[in-house]
Amino acid sequence: MNNQESVLIIDDELPIRRLLEINLTANGFGVIQSSCGKDGITDAASHNPSLIILDLGLPDMDGITVLKNLREWFFKPVIVLSVRNSEEDIIEALDSGANDYLTKPFRSGELLARIRAAIRAGEKSENEPVINIRNLEIDFINHTLKKNRKIVKLTSTEFSLISLLAKNQGRVLTHQYLLKSVWGYSYIEHTQYLRVFIAQLRKKIEDDPAVPELLITESGIGYRFAE
Amino acid sequence: MRPIVVKSTRVRSFFKSGVRDYLIAVLIVAVTGFLCIPLSGASGYHVVSFILLFIVTILATFMGTGAVLMASTLSAVVWNFFFIPPQFTFHIDKTEDILIFGLFFIIALLNGVLTTRVRRQEKLAVEREERTNSLFGLTKELSKAGNLNEVLSVSVKQIEMNFNSESFFVLQDGNKALSRSSRLQLNKVLSPEDYQIAEWVFVNNLCAGKYTDNYSGNPMTFYPMSGSILSSGVLVVRHDFYLESDFISFWNTFITLISNALEREFLRELANKARFLDESDKLYKTLFNSISHEFRIPVATIMGAADSLISSPGDEKMSRELYAEIFTASLRLNRLIENLLNMSRLETGRISPRPDWHDVNDLLNKVSADLKEELKFYNLRIKISKNIPLVRIDFGLIEQAVYNVVYNSLQYSPHGSEILVKANYRNNFLVLSVEDNGPGFNEASLKNIFNKFYRTDVTKTGGLGLGLSIVKGFVEAHNGTVSAENRKTGGAKIKISIPSENPNINPKFISNE
Repeated sequence: MNNQESVLIIDDELPIRRLLEINLTANGFGVIQSSCGKDGITDAASHNPSLIILDLGLPDMDGITVLKNLREWFFKPVIVLSVRNSEEDIIEALDSGANDYLTKPFRSGELLARIRAAIRAGEKSENEPVINIRNLEIDFINHTLKKNRKIVKLTSTEFSLISLLAKNQGRVLTHQYLLKSVWGYSYIEHTQYLRVFIAQLRKKIEDDPAVPELLITESGIGYRFAE
Repeated sequence: MRPIVVKSTRVRSFFKSGVRDYLIAVLIVAVTGFLCIPLSGASGYHVVSFILLFIVTILATFMGTGAVLMASTLSAVVWNFFFIPPQFTFHIDKTEDILIFGLFFIIALLNGVLTTRVRRQEKLAVEREERTNSLFGLTKELSKAGNLNEVLSVSVKQIEMNFNSESFFVLQDGNKALSRSSRLQLNKVLSPEDYQIAEWVFVNNLCAGKYTDNYSGNPMTFYPMSGSILSSGVLVVRHDFYLESDFISFWNTFITLISNALEREFLRELANKARFLDESDKLYKTLFNSISHEFRIPVATIMGAADSLISSPGDEKMSRELYAEIFTASLRLNRLIENLLNMSRLETGRISPRPDWHDVNDLLNKVSADLKEELKFYNLRIKISKNIPLVRIDFGLIEQAVYNVVYNSLQYSPHGSEILVKANYRNNFLVLSVEDNGPGFNEASLKNIFNKFYRTDVTKTGGLGLGLSIVKGFVEAHNGTVSAENRKTGGAKIKISIPSENPNINPKFISNE
């Protein structure tokens, strides 16, 4: 990172904040800490951090409320870091605008990777005509996908699905969001279709479809296009 | 079964006839005498004696002994006065007529008495049979009753049916004291006086209330329900009539049967409670022992390693190893907490799977990713049958179950050995199996391996003995089954089967572009 990126940590647990601070500082991030939701919102406004790490179990207000509040004016990435590990909690946080979700206890390496990915994704311009990811090249203008420079034949639904995931590379997109965006509202419950299409896509783009490395399943939550 | 209607006149009727019977007897004898007048005469009066004997016999078949005795006496008198010459006197001329008159009188008496006795015997026999049937019916109903409430409702119904009496039970509360509200009439709370009587009956094991020597002013009768081991409570009955002596033994047998059935249910409840207490006591002890032991080891590792790192930094190789130790110990702690949480979710019944369509590939990939660290030393092979459909499961729960099974296999397998995970779809069932090359299960383990806190004696890595019982809980929450067996080649095999319909995917939808 050239200009120092700053991360705001909103968490009431001092040991967690300290651990994050040590890790982030060692990796070149500036760190701002808040121990409650109210302070967190104020700090986000005054420091304009590059990314926020948000805990859900805050003493003064619920993390989801903080997240919704932030999302009215804060458009940089927010990563939720919580002990709440149920699928509903994760989906709720993602639907409320979180870019990513990690459960405690977490691995520092994993968290750092997610932070970097989120910041990078935020810097990417939304309207790039062509995206290159590993050995793939996705051309949004001509609606083509190339693997190892060879065109892979995709149906139009397959293409919209992979474009959506690729444009949000690194970010978990929930089943509902994908179904709604690609198929429309009436298909929001039909996860089986989504699964079938993902399986088809994997066969076409993954080196080993059984052990996917590009289209990552976030169990019970959604899919993520790998970094 | 015909209900036996008990009336106070019923038993007495064998000995005393009603006034009506006497009147009818007199009338019939008089009418017969009158109708026989044309037969009076030198030769006819013998015939009249037969007619009168016949009438007395008929009367004996439906009248009480008293009336029959009176009818026979009256007919003897009528025959003597109106028919035996000289007529209209009690005087008898001929010696043979005196003899015939004497015999007539005796035959009439015997006839009447014997006939009523036969009738009475027959009636008693029928009644006895009815009572036996009633008792038999009660026994049958009581033995069919599966719990306390059923015993109570059967009893109340049977008392109503056989004795026309309303009844209810006041039972003990399980601590050898009488409970304040009556059972089966839950809206009804005993009045303080009634409760006092019930308590007295319960303590003294004697009857009280109406028709008894104690508290006889009360409109209800209270019977103690006492068995050989414990008293279950008090039966309260509203009798409309007095139970006669031969009937009381029937009643007593009846309530003894009920009392025994109640005792049986109470003892069963006590046994269950005792077993539960015993189990929870054992559970508590095991939990305490294992938790303190299981938690201490990783905590000790972390403390020791961190301490070394703080006090003597420098040696990079050693530091690396210590860091790795800390990391492994924390993983172990995390797994312990996860298992305890899952167990408590299962115990409190807060597991309700929310199934959705999932790809078995994703499931097994997630398991192997989560076990990446542990699997470094093993050779994990995943075999998923071709064309396996999507399955409808709660991903989180089944992932945890498979994780636990694989993790369990790792604990018993030699480093470098193969762990084989297979996934099939057969007859609408998803079948997942995990096979290892460890020592396999011994006989005792095969039976208990899915029980809470069960640990085989070859356990080398500790653990709470919760892993596989959680597997069972999660799989059963999906209406699935889990089983353990030994492989023919040695090693253990655990199989999970979960019902899952074939997903109904419209091919038109897939190809519709």
